[in-house]
Amino acid sequence: MDSALLNGLLALADPHLLVLIFAATLGGVLVGALPGLNATTGVALLLPFTITMEPIPAIAILTTIYCSATFAGAITAILINTPGTSASATTCLDGYPLAQRGEAGRALGMAAVSSTIGGVISVICLMAAAPLMARAAYNFAPPEYFALTVFGLSMLATIGDGSPVKNILSGAFGVLIATVGIDLLTSIERFTFGMNELSEGIPFVPVMIGVFGISELLVQADNLHVERKPVVMKSIKLPSRKDYSRVWKTILRSSGIGTFIGILPAEGATVASMIGYNEAKRWSKHPEEFGNGSLEGIAGSEAANNSATGGAMVPTLALGIPGSPTAAVILAGLMVHGLRPGPAMFTDQADFAFAIFWSMMLVNVIFFFIGLWGAKIFARVTLIPIQILWPIVFIFSIVGAYALDQSMLDVWIAISSGILGFFMRRYGYSVVPMAIGLILGGMLETRLGQSMVMLDEKWWLMLARPLTLFFLVLTILALFGPMLWGRLFKQRSPLKSTGE
Amino acid sequence: MDQPLRRIPTRFAVPIGILTFCVWAFWLSTQFERVPPILKRGIQPSDFPQLVIGLIAMLTIWLIFRDRSALPAPLSRHVQATIGLLLVFVLIAEVDLFLGLGAFAVLLAALWGERRIWALVLVGLISPTLVFFLFDSVFEVRFPRGLLTNFWYG
Repeated sequence: MDSALLNGLLALADPHLLVLIFAATLGGVLVGALPGLNATTGVALLLPFTITMEPIPAIAILTTIYCSATFAGAITAILINTPGTSASATTCLDGYPLAQRGEAGRALGMAAVSSTIGGVISVICLMAAAPLMARAAYNFAPPEYFALTVFGLSMLATIGDGSPVKNILSGAFGVLIATVGIDLLTSIERFTFGMNELSEGIPFVPVMIGVFGISELLVQADNLHVERKPVVMKSIKLPSRKDYSRVWKTILRSSGIGTFIGILPAEGATVASMIGYNEAKRWSKHPEEFGNGSLEGIAGSEAANNSATGGAMVPTLALGIPGSPTAAVILAGLMVHGLRPGPAMFTDQADFAFAIFWSMMLVNVIFFFIGLWGAKIFARVTLIPIQILWPIVFIFSIVGAYALDQSMLDVWIAISSGILGFFMRRYGYSVVPMAIGLILGGMLETRLGQSMVMLDEKWWLMLARPLTLFFLVLTILALFGPMLWGRLFKQRSPLKSTGE
Repeated sequence: MDQPLRRIPTRFAVPIGILTFCVWAFWLSTQFERVPPILKRGIQPSDFPQLVIGLIAMLTIWLIFRDRSALPAPLSRHVQATIGLLLVFVLIAEVDLFLGLGAFAVLLAALWGERRIWALVLVGLISPTLVFFLFDSVFEVRFPRGLLTNFWYG
């Protein structure tokens, strides 16, 4: 373990990798600042670029984009009152009023500091918790894994802004798509319509590109009238000592909340930022300032959404269950590179896992400086006309979809998924559960089949296994708990999320 | 007065569409080969998809009775035209992928209101060309042969 920690750090000593991480941080901040693009879309679009790379730089780039794009959402939230990512929606509430008062620099400074602290704390938790979780999962047999995957899917109920039933329906549809191709247990073809290309199933990457990239293009077609006017920013200002003394508790609390929310399967930075913001307001001595330019509000939201990134990687790497929508795309990236997330990752590929952790630590430091001194430049990026931006994004989407298997079928899958995703979003069905269902569907069926063999086809014996029962009880709580905590949902509803 | 009446069938259109899909998918799943008990490894190939289809159908029926969410506004002209452009791209890409990309990009930019020549050249010509050489040379991706790519591949 200690040697893996050190080896992981040494892997980052490669100058080539450091340059890549720095470039990816810039790219991530750019993605987060561009209108309509978010961390999930950015990672999905950049995934094909990493195919020819070694696993460490490839996954380091994806996690870097994840962390930096999540932070960069704050730039547009503060300067143009448009969250670059939905995780920064709550940052608008106080960031923009501050910017209007001529204190944009102070707001951005607070966002950068709290994001960095939140991110660093969550990576430390990731380094400690992921190997522990993986060690605990060593005792899992197929029934436990099956129940855990069901629990992961049940958490989709509370993702995004759709109704829980629609989310589960969307997730189930993703699981159904995952059944296309040759059944791994029996080698029988299913839903292939005689097409050889489909025998290996519907590939993840084109679907991700379609539902996150192309569907967003259609959404943008409805937003052509939106005008973006930046607030004039004199200079970035680090928060003062007085500011720190007011917000340090909020930053630590939100970092803890964000990390915990991130660890929960499927819950991402958006939910974390909302809970972080609400808790910051609840504990504040000046709750009346929230919504009118409160630094605590910015700190609460930004520390929480960035700490969720590290938290989300815990179940992703330790169990193979994505902790957030973006982590789901990263999980797809791991699979594309032939890596198997799960307990074995911390024994067989421990150096790789710790190299990823260190790279996430590094990116949190890099974006602090970029956030402080580059925000002025990135703020201008938000003014790129969508008439120029989105045709270029489309070109990258299509070429990226084609590049993975060099198959035109993947292009058609990306376009079909994009159109389907657009209409799903239009009718209130979030596309995120579908994407996660597609990734977890194969695992779910395999574990069910293995469990049935193990239990001699007596499925009810699963309930006699304490851990399986525990996960199934959690599943029931995840599905029906929100009805009990209806107020929590009312707080979430105003936010229209796409990726996160 | 007649607005709600017109919208009632629309509210059911999506669930009915999903249920129709479920019936079709279930029927398809009944066509899967079955394996002898000794080889089935726990479940038949059709069991899991049928379980999922059943769940989807059940949730959809629940939605028919309980979902009261507002219907979206009609599709805007720009969205309709953009979907149309996607179909045009599919047709042109059959001739040449990059011809399709360039045509789509320039038409989309124009459709969305871009009139500056340099911007149209940037999205319709320069971007696809740069992306082609980036993927061809750096990532060694071999694109499908077509009207334009044949000039490069010979």
